[in-house]
Amino acid sequence: MLNDIFIAPFVDMVEAPDFLMQVLWEGLVSGILYALIALGFVLIFRSSRIFNFAQGIMVVFAALTLVGLFAMGVPAWISVGLTLGVMFVLAVLIERVVLRPLVGQPDIILFMATIGITLFLIGFGETIFGGENKVMITEELGIPTGDTVLEPFGGLLILQHLDITVVIVATLLVLALLAFLNYTQMGRAIRALGDDHQAALSVGISLQTIWVLVWFIAGIIALVTGIAWGARAGVSFALEVIAYKALPVLMLGGLESITGAIVGGLMIGILEKLFEIYWGQPLLGGNTETWFAFVLALIVLLFRPQGLFGERIIERV
Amino acid sequence: MKHFTKLATAAALGTVLGTAAIAQELYTPNLAYRTGPFAATGIPLMNGQADYMTLLNERDGGIGGAKIDFEECETGYSTEKGVECYEKTKGTAIVTQPWSTGITLQVLPKTNVDEIPILAPGYGFSPMADGKVFQWAFNMPAGYWDAADMIVQYLENEGGSLDGKKIAFLHLDHPFGKEPLPVLEMHAEGKGFELLPIPVGLKEMQNQSAQWLQIRRERPDYVVMWGWGAMNAGAITEAVKTKFPMENFLGVWWAGHDADLKLVGEEGKGYKSISWSFPNMDAPVMQEIKERVIDAGLSQTNEEEMQGVFYGRGLVMSMILAEAIKGAQENFGTAEISPTQLRWGLENLNLTEERIAELGMAGMVPPFSTSCANHTGHSGGWMLEWDGSKFVKASDLLKPNVDGYADLIASSAAEYATSNAPWAMNEECSATN
Repeated sequence: MLNDIFIAPFVDMVEAPDFLMQVLWEGLVSGILYALIALGFVLIFRSSRIFNFAQGIMVVFAALTLVGLFAMGVPAWISVGLTLGVMFVLAVLIERVVLRPLVGQPDIILFMATIGITLFLIGFGETIFGGENKVMITEELGIPTGDTVLEPFGGLLILQHLDITVVIVATLLVLALLAFLNYTQMGRAIRALGDDHQAALSVGISLQTIWVLVWFIAGIIALVTGIAWGARAGVSFALEVIAYKALPVLMLGGLESITGAIVGGLMIGILEKLFEIYWGQPLLGGNTETWFAFVLALIVLLFRPQGLFGERIIERV
Repeated sequence: MKHFTKLATAAALGTVLGTAAIAQELYTPNLAYRTGPFAATGIPLMNGQADYMTLLNERDGGIGGAKIDFEECETGYSTEKGVECYEKTKGTAIVTQPWSTGITLQVLPKTNVDEIPILAPGYGFSPMADGKVFQWAFNMPAGYWDAADMIVQYLENEGGSLDGKKIAFLHLDHPFGKEPLPVLEMHAEGKGFELLPIPVGLKEMQNQSAQWLQIRRERPDYVVMWGWGAMNAGAITEAVKTKFPMENFLGVWWAGHDADLKLVGEEGKGYKSISWSFPNMDAPVMQEIKERVIDAGLSQTNEEEMQGVFYGRGLVMSMILAEAIKGAQENFGTAEISPTQLRWGLENLNLTEERIAELGMAGMVPPFSTSCANHTGHSGGWMLEWDGSKFVKASDLLKPNVDGYADLIASSAAEYATSNAPWAMNEECSATN
């Protein structure tokens, strides 16, 4: 038993380095997508203290709008532009109709409101687009779909062009978001709201504008995530569950930390894949990805209750 | 006073007419799922079921003069909601159609007390085949153990002995996905192949890279998939991605949905799925449905969906229920049958080749019959193959070797009855199969 836990997995890794590289690559692709979804949660939480339960359904809604517009005969890239427009309108409506009347209410009320948004979007989306599985317009968007086969150490490493594109686009989006938050006035305003609501409002930062902005950014992230996952297994309401994979990322990285979302996403993506392949499947019958990330996050929380990069809250009585 | 008398007469007449109208309806609720992660597979099936009943209502005025009230109660494939739907609809229902193995397992003990037949065509708990024990449960025309047996038979017929070979069993980590394990394990032991179960969690359905990395490492000769909903599309795209030979990749009948294969198109060529139904666009029933239901604006389906395997299967499912209702009406001489009378109808189905053709469904389902002891029918099925754009038949009719696992059915049914004691059984049933 000890051999199976402490020796055999590492022997496997050394004996088949090409396979290990494949595992790490798949983990990286998953991880960067988890990080992207987690960023959507973090941005909204930082600026409004709302845990956005609707992030998952926003992924579905954005992807369905894109393929729905294309099915109506709108050219692919114009569909992308129009979908962004729809996500912007959605952000404005959420701010005006749902959030603004609830300003000052306890956090749990705002959280419940996002559950309401989720249920509304599920019903609305199904009414407009139907529940059938739809094919993502991967080729029409010019996303490459072939693969590159490498033979490292005489073995086999398959790199899907779609996955390479996802990694590049997601990385660029994360970098763009970081640049936006750190070097633009609006970005700094979002961070200021996250740091101190009252102080930010007192210097004239508009809560309404920032909320619309962060929900719109979450919408952009939802669209990119929807395209990436939809290209893998079709666009359907099943995509919603993907968002729940971001929960342990948030626990691990901290709900307020952008760095935490990125590092947490990558860590969970890679570690859950390594654990599943080298320990989970041989020793536990597989399917450990369902719980591994939560256990990892709980272990981290035992030692750092605020998460790896979360802010330590010190309250003096 | 005159006014009062007139009003009272009108009210009484209205009540009588109303009662007569209600009496001429048969309530056959469907615990449907058109929403949630499994909606993509549910919708064409539900549409097929509903459209066949609409056809009967429109063309024949229902069955035996009684209109069919085919109400749907939405479950989203959630077991909890399914149980709620069962409780909500059981009052006047003559049947319940639970539409998930999880919901079936939950309502199974309830129906045995409420005395309402469960109709779960091609799904549910496989030992339901034993009608003496599961007197209220039916899963005709074939069960999961039949499917597992036919897949193993097909692999032997096509690729020779399975001795020393390795079969990966990729399945949803859910009661449905685990259903065929007893028969697969029995065959693994008897035929000498290695069975490698690979579970897929509900949250991992669309990201199966870990499962397919395991398949790449283990190099199985075949992959048999027990998938449902988004899991199928996820698995098929990963199989293409990892370059697994499609001709060695087979699935159960719920993993044979055209829309899932259309995601990969030509690259999915060679993928197979065992099926007890086949879409036959030339069958007269298809033309009738188009004219009387779809063109009349009474359906939620579309041209493309109508040509698929799942829509055709939905039609067959409702046809089975309609035939059982008809049989019961004729036997008991009443249009308004009770759940107990419908149970008789379900236990005395005899869908011959001729009767299926008479119904305008030639080639859409194999012939089968049921009895009080045999609630599955064991019709057999065809191995369907994806040709790049649609499913085509890749085999003649395969018949399950039920004798090979009859003891397993009997012992599993008995075990269920013991663990759910007191369990009412059909002591009057004397048939042996």
